[in-house]
Amino acid sequence: MENEGELTSIPKKREGGTQASPGLSDPESWVDLHGDYLFKYALIRLRDPAKAEDAVQETFLAALKGGKSFQGRAAEKSWLVGVLKNKIYDHYRKSSRETSFTDLEFYADEESDRFVPDGLFKDGWIHELGPLEWSSPGASLDSEVFWKTFHECSNKLPKNVAAVFNLREVDGVESREICSLMNISESNLWVMLHRARMALRRCLDANWFGKQA
Amino acid sequence: MNLLNTVKDGMITGLRMLMPSCREALRLQSDALERSLPPARRPGLWLHLLLCKWCRYYGQQIRFLRHAAHKHPDELTQATPQRLSPEARERIRQKLRMHTE
Repeated sequence: MENEGELTSIPKKREGGTQASPGLSDPESWVDLHGDYLFKYALIRLRDPAKAEDAVQETFLAALKGGKSFQGRAAEKSWLVGVLKNKIYDHYRKSSRETSFTDLEFYADEESDRFVPDGLFKDGWIHELGPLEWSSPGASLDSEVFWKTFHECSNKLPKNVAAVFNLREVDGVESREICSLMNISESNLWVMLHRARMALRRCLDANWFGKQA
Repeated sequence: MNLLNTVKDGMITGLRMLMPSCREALRLQSDALERSLPPARRPGLWLHLLLCKWCRYYGQQIRFLRHAAHKHPDELTQATPQRLSPEARERIRQKLRMHTE
């Protein structure tokens, strides 16, 4: 439908023995092998099941077109994730041109209620509400329940704030690149990241670290 | 009384110039993850963190968030409970079939 080239490239690959090599698995098995993972990956970043499904489908079709050979399934998976990532970034690029990307309503300060409102110690922590030390946070990283909590907390962030946080902290994309992708200024990005960190820290503190002691 | 207030305001302004408030210290610590802070802000933040354990913990915790998210993308992805629906699965399979046959 989209491109004749897609149709002709596949039989060639089959004859050429790419399928027989320990490389790319049969495209139809991709849905079972990688479908859920890619869907979850896309859903975290797009927050919309229909868009996430579309992104997965586009990823498989693009992969079919540009199929190459792999040593094992792990390599195949990370290749597909790379293709999907580009689809998601394309989506960001497109939608940031259409609507303002900044979540202004989120700019109300998350921690306001924890600061002294006026006087000598204005904007200092109200004593009993200041952050406490997290005990051995590293150990949490092995816990499935911790990641579930992390996911739930990041799901509470406004969509665009979460997108920026994922780009910066999960994918490790450079600030400047995020700004051009999302069509926002650097100072805007810094405020969004600050708010995301603040909200996520507080949520994990309340729902995980505060309950560990 | 008036004089007392003037002295008090003067002290607050002096303190503010020397040292950021907790609210500012949070923002500065977040910004420090993105860029190097202006040299004029560094001594004040340093002094603040020396004196304020809450802001110190806060900084440790947001740096932990960065480390956790960046080093464990797989755990984060797998923690999403939703899965591809049977209908979507079938639809995608059909599409793939259309393009391979």
